[in-house]
Amino acid sequence: MINNSLKNITRAKGLENAIIVSILLFLFSLFFPQHDSFLLLLINEVLVFLVLYFILSYIKPLLGSKTDSPFTLVLNAGILAALVFSIISISDSLFGSLADKDANLNIIYSLFSIILIFIFIVAAIYILASFRELFFLRQKTDPGMYFNTMQVFFLLTFFSSLLLKIDPDFDYPYNSFFVVSIVLISLNSLRVAWIAFLVKKQKLYLLLISTILSILFGFNFGLLLSETNTVRQIIFSFSPGFYSVLNLTMIYGMIYFGVIFFTTLFHLPTAEAFDRKAQEASSLMDLTKLITQVFDFKELAETVTTITAKVCNSYSAWLVTKKEIEYTLNSVHHISYVDADKLTKMLLDSEESDLLNVQTFSYDTVSTELRNEMREFKMIAIAPLKLHGVINGFLFTARHKDVNFDEDEKKSLQAFADYATVALENAKLLAESIEKERLEKELDVARDIQRKILPNHVPYSKNFQAATLFVPAFEVGGDYYDFFELEGEKLGFIVADVSGKGISASFIMAEVKGIFESLSKLILNPRSLLVYVNEILKKSLDKKSFVTVIYGVIDKQSGELNFARAGHPPVLLCSDNKVKRLQPSGIGIGLDYSSGFVNSLKEMQIVLKNDDIVAFYSDGIPEAKNAKLEDFGYERLEKIILQNKNKNLDEITNILMHDLAIFSKDHWQHDDITLVLIKWNKKN
Amino acid sequence: MADFNVNLRGVGSVSVIDVNGYLDAHTAPELENVFNKLLIDKHYKVVVNFNDLKYISSAGLGVFMAYVETMRDNKGDIKFSNMKENVYNIFDLLGFPILYEFYKDEKEAVQKFSELS
Repeated sequence: MINNSLKNITRAKGLENAIIVSILLFLFSLFFPQHDSFLLLLINEVLVFLVLYFILSYIKPLLGSKTDSPFTLVLNAGILAALVFSIISISDSLFGSLADKDANLNIIYSLFSIILIFIFIVAAIYILASFRELFFLRQKTDPGMYFNTMQVFFLLTFFSSLLLKIDPDFDYPYNSFFVVSIVLISLNSLRVAWIAFLVKKQKLYLLLISTILSILFGFNFGLLLSETNTVRQIIFSFSPGFYSVLNLTMIYGMIYFGVIFFTTLFHLPTAEAFDRKAQEASSLMDLTKLITQVFDFKELAETVTTITAKVCNSYSAWLVTKKEIEYTLNSVHHISYVDADKLTKMLLDSEESDLLNVQTFSYDTVSTELRNEMREFKMIAIAPLKLHGVINGFLFTARHKDVNFDEDEKKSLQAFADYATVALENAKLLAESIEKERLEKELDVARDIQRKILPNHVPYSKNFQAATLFVPAFEVGGDYYDFFELEGEKLGFIVADVSGKGISASFIMAEVKGIFESLSKLILNPRSLLVYVNEILKKSLDKKSFVTVIYGVIDKQSGELNFARAGHPPVLLCSDNKVKRLQPSGIGIGLDYSSGFVNSLKEMQIVLKNDDIVAFYSDGIPEAKNAKLEDFGYERLEKIILQNKNKNLDEITNILMHDLAIFSKDHWQHDDITLVLIKWNKKN
Repeated sequence: MADFNVNLRGVGSVSVIDVNGYLDAHTAPELENVFNKLLIDKHYKVVVNFNDLKYISSAGLGVFMAYVETMRDNKGDIKFSNMKENVYNIFDLLGFPILYEFYKDEKEAVQKFSELS
């Protein structure tokens, strides 16, 4: 805790501390240009050490943010090394003449030398800090101890150089610390893992730079070593400690860049493969992210083709999906849609049967016809988009070079094809679930319409009873029944079934209701009315749709029933202890708009006697299915009516409902069930 | 759900479609695909063999209604053959026999085309 807060303070105040100590050092050097006594020397060295320490602690966090780009660190260190080099070379010639030390120039000389020293201090610290960052870069374990040990020996070297000043012969401690430091430098220089993660171009670049820098640092070291060099003299006389650290820094640079040079050299042959693997891994990661985020297949397909071309070292790539027998080109990269389409068709026509794995085609193996088309391409690879053994499409990639795709490239191609497969499946499932939701909403609307269209009461008359049964199917079958009070004590009634299901059926249903609602009052003859309705519905029914209808008019006084049938199941008449099917001819509405409909349509007229029952219904009853997919049939319906003819009509509908439910208990009701019963029962 | 299969074959200049299983709203698109293919290939003489068809719904009937006009406009037709009684009853109830030709045997239906041309 205390340690941490202390660290924070030194870091936050790093710059201030560095400046204060630097000023102190500056003033001290001005007042005591020559420090002959040991005390002065010691104070000087401590000050220099503090300056070094505070500048280092200020620079460290600054460089910490640059760890993503080791190149910047290397270049910065290199530039500073070059700066040191040029200063050493220039000052040697510049100060060489001043070395005679004209007394008048003494002040200027020491001023210059102090500035020079400061420049060197900053440069050395910056270079060391850069090396430190590079050292820690991409290390899996924490090697901090090794670097810290080295720093400790730097420190020991720094202070042991004091002994040299006192007694030049007592150089044993200094030399041993210096040598140990160099050994540690050499060991630490081997930590260059970050090189592996550079791309090939950067590695080539690094190779060049490390050569130059290694030589440059070597030169610097050599220049600083020569006793006659002015700069060396200035620095050494200023602070032997700093001189030794500067030397160590130059040695570090020389060794470090030497190691970098050889490491990079050895990494170079595998650089390309490494790059590709790295790219492949990052591409796959991007794709995985995309798959979970992007629901637009087209967008994903574009990414897939772009990445495929890159990772497979080819020029072009394109993706086709297959639905039934149709191929759709989804995206292309570096090839026109027209060319991709042509190549796809030609390649797939000849080879599809065995395209269960990645296949490659070289220029020589393709047919001559194809050769003309693929002038540009020497090699093409195809991977199938396979899911559960079904091929949903293909991913193509083509290159200009006459080099076969290697195993890794084929594997990558298949990996990308697999990703495309998953994305395709996702998109499909999403579309399906949206569609399902839409259908459910649509069915809700359709059911609502149907409920509002159907009458909510049963007509009443003293001469007959009426009852209705309606069971909607889940999918809304399109059944419709209704009653219309007509003039002259007559009742019109309709039972109709619109083909198709859902909302489209319910719209037609609504239209049929509207037409009958208005025309039934105007056209009293059922046959004429149906002919008219057929004409009207021509406009709104599409080719596939039709409506079956029974429309009848019953005279409430006489029991006369007049009806016509357009393609609808027959009317059942239960009379004299038997059931008859009444089926006048007539084709469904919407099947034919010419004379066929009119000519076929016949009308039927019966007169009801007391206790006669007539049943109008939709095909939902006879076509109700059981588990074996057998029909409920007409006979069962007729039997129920016959056996229960003396019961109340509502009871009959209940019995029918009950029997139907038992019959089709293991099969889902797929159509609406409608039944209208009328029993004639005239009192006098 | 219920299975449906459709197979297309040529008998001379006539295309014969074999339908098999349950033809309803869910399976009708398969039959529509076959008819679309016939239109692309300009084959307008069609016999549908119902020998193996077990059930047809209104959506199945709609398929024939949708294509018969085009076939007839191009001097072709859709004729039906080998229909089981329960399937025929559905067609009959709707009045199809007034508008379409039904034959007991596929050969007969195919022959009918050659008689005309």
